Amino acid sequence: MSGKGGVGKSAVTAALGIVAARRGLSVLTISMTEDLGLGAHLGVDRLGYSPQEIRPGIHGMTIDRSYALDEYIRLQLHAPRIAPLGPVARGLNALADTVPGIRDIITIGKALFEAGRDRWDLVIADAPPLGQVTSYLRAPETIASLVPVGRVRDQALRYQAQLADPGFSGLALVTTAEELPVVETLEAFDGIAEAVTISAVITNRLLSPLGVSEATVLAQPAGAHRDAGLLHRGLRRGQRRWNGQLPDGPQLPYLFGVHTPGEVAVRIADQLGEAL
Amino acid sequence: MTGVVLVTGGGGVGKTTIAAAVGVAAAEAGHETLVLTVDPARRLATALGLEQLGNHPEPNPKLKGLSAAMLDSAASWDAIAYRHAPADIAERLVTNPLFDAVATRFPSGQSYAAAEEMTVHIESGKWDVIVVDTPPASGGIEFFASPTRMRELVGGRLLRWLTGAGLPGRRGLFNLAGRPALRLADTLLGGPLLEQVAEFLFDLRTTYDGISAKSVDIEQHLRAASTVVVTTADPGPLREALRFHEVGIKPALVVFNRALPSEWLAHEEPLVDGRAAAALNENLARWALEVRRQEDSRADFSGRVATPVAAVPWLADAPVDLEGLRAILAGSPELSLDRLGI
Repeated sequence: MSGKGGVGKSAVTAALGIVAARRGLSVLTISMTEDLGLGAHLGVDRLGYSPQEIRPGIHGMTIDRSYALDEYIRLQLHAPRIAPLGPVARGLNALADTVPGIRDIITIGKALFEAGRDRWDLVIADAPPLGQVTSYLRAPETIASLVPVGRVRDQALRYQAQLADPGFSGLALVTTAEELPVVETLEAFDGIAEAVTISAVITNRLLSPLGVSEATVLAQPAGAHRDAGLLHRGLRRGQRRWNGQLPDGPQLPYLFGVHTPGEVAVRIADQLGEAL
Repeated sequence: MTGVVLVTGGGGVGKTTIAAAVGVAAAEAGHETLVLTVDPARRLATALGLEQLGNHPEPNPKLKGLSAAMLDSAASWDAIAYRHAPADIAERLVTNPLFDAVATRFPSGQSYAAAEEMTVHIESGKWDVIVVDTPPASGGIEFFASPTRMRELVGGRLLRWLTGAGLPGRRGLFNLAGRPALRLADTLLGGPLLEQVAEFLFDLRTTYDGISAKSVDIEQHLRAASTVVVTTADPGPLREALRFHEVGIKPALVVFNRALPSEWLAHEEPLVDGRAAAALNENLARWALEVRRQEDSRADFSGRVATPVAAVPWLADAPVDLEGLRAILAGSPELSLDRLGI
């Protein structure tokens, strides 16, 4: 799952997990950024580094970039979890900061490892926002071109194939019907298409029709009713224009006055369940 | 002395528009003003007079005293190499595949390139006011950390790890047999890549003196600037806005964008006239729920940090011309040039 920042990506990711769990699937949701939004939408303060059941049928975890690298080094060194890693890890961390894609590929690799396990019917990853996700999903390709030999290269080639296989993985994009999110969503089709299949575009926060004509709203006495009517109509006009440029996909309504992240996710799940 | 305003915040909160509006107000107050922006919507770029999006300041044909330029990080990285490395090494650096990869992917790289570009404009002495729409990585916090990160990158710590304590010549940089700690890196990534990295870092190290001096200047400019954090009342952007305070950046102002009028909460006589009245009553009741939510988040935010806040009204249509940009500061008394030290 990706989308431009601020469109409700984490909320929709959590909601999709809730929908799948309601249908009896065993679901793992993964936050692939340090952002704690996903956990909040699923009703927990923080997600752990390994899968934990956070509500019936839904497990959650986060893949922290530096923790994942340390864990990877431990696996490679056969080092126990508590031993300090010392200069080797410090050096490899510095190396990972310099050679682009190393950290990305380790986090992607962790998500793909979970996706390959029989334990889950569905693995949903809250990926970095659009703008970062292209280079992120292309990390295996970047690594394969930069790294001529070695174990990481072999892994990169395997991940590249798994991401490109529509039977294994797909990218769902969340957007709102506003100029920049729509433009960036459409650009993603050019930038990402060879690395991964875009399997859905989900439009969030759509306003329903006001049911009153512009002229009738304008004819009202000055005040809150008229102003709120004009704002609603104006916002909806813009939404219709931009939504028209997007491919067909699930449409989610604007939620009025919903306070907590957990409540937002459940309300979206109710709508998404009908749309899917 | 150039006054610098950094406009920052999470994605999708409208910070580019706020930056443009501050720039327009500064120019109209008679200051020679430059707006540096990252990725404006096409129509906003047009409103700023950025017909062609380039690194060089374009004067706005419709507003005297206002210029705008893009912060194009790929072009800036080339400029950084040529500015800080000897010409032949700069040439070798920009053609190295790792350079391209680092320029576009090193997390702090784009931010650093933008910060150095900003500094060039500040130090040119041509501007009274520079308004910077910061690059979006990590909600803009990266921008503030980038000088330190960049110093570490070029500082040679990794190079020493790869090559041992002494810095040998560029060729034959490291000897695997003598460095058992490298064996894992070699298994994972292969010797050829490590050698390529070491060669690259060796070349990059020639930029160290230049970049360490420049990055200290940049940090001083960042500290002297007024920072405006833009947010909405939504949890994600609010979390980003709080993070600025947690890492010790003291914003001059937090702007709550897309604010709804609090008067919508007040009990008004419902409209009684016909079918439209029912729909409009219901509509106002729905939006009043949003007003309540926004007020609750603002109150919660102000309970956590003492930074002054400004509310900018939610507009049905994003501003597409100078008139629209002007209306933003006009409609938000707390968002004033005074508050930003201009």
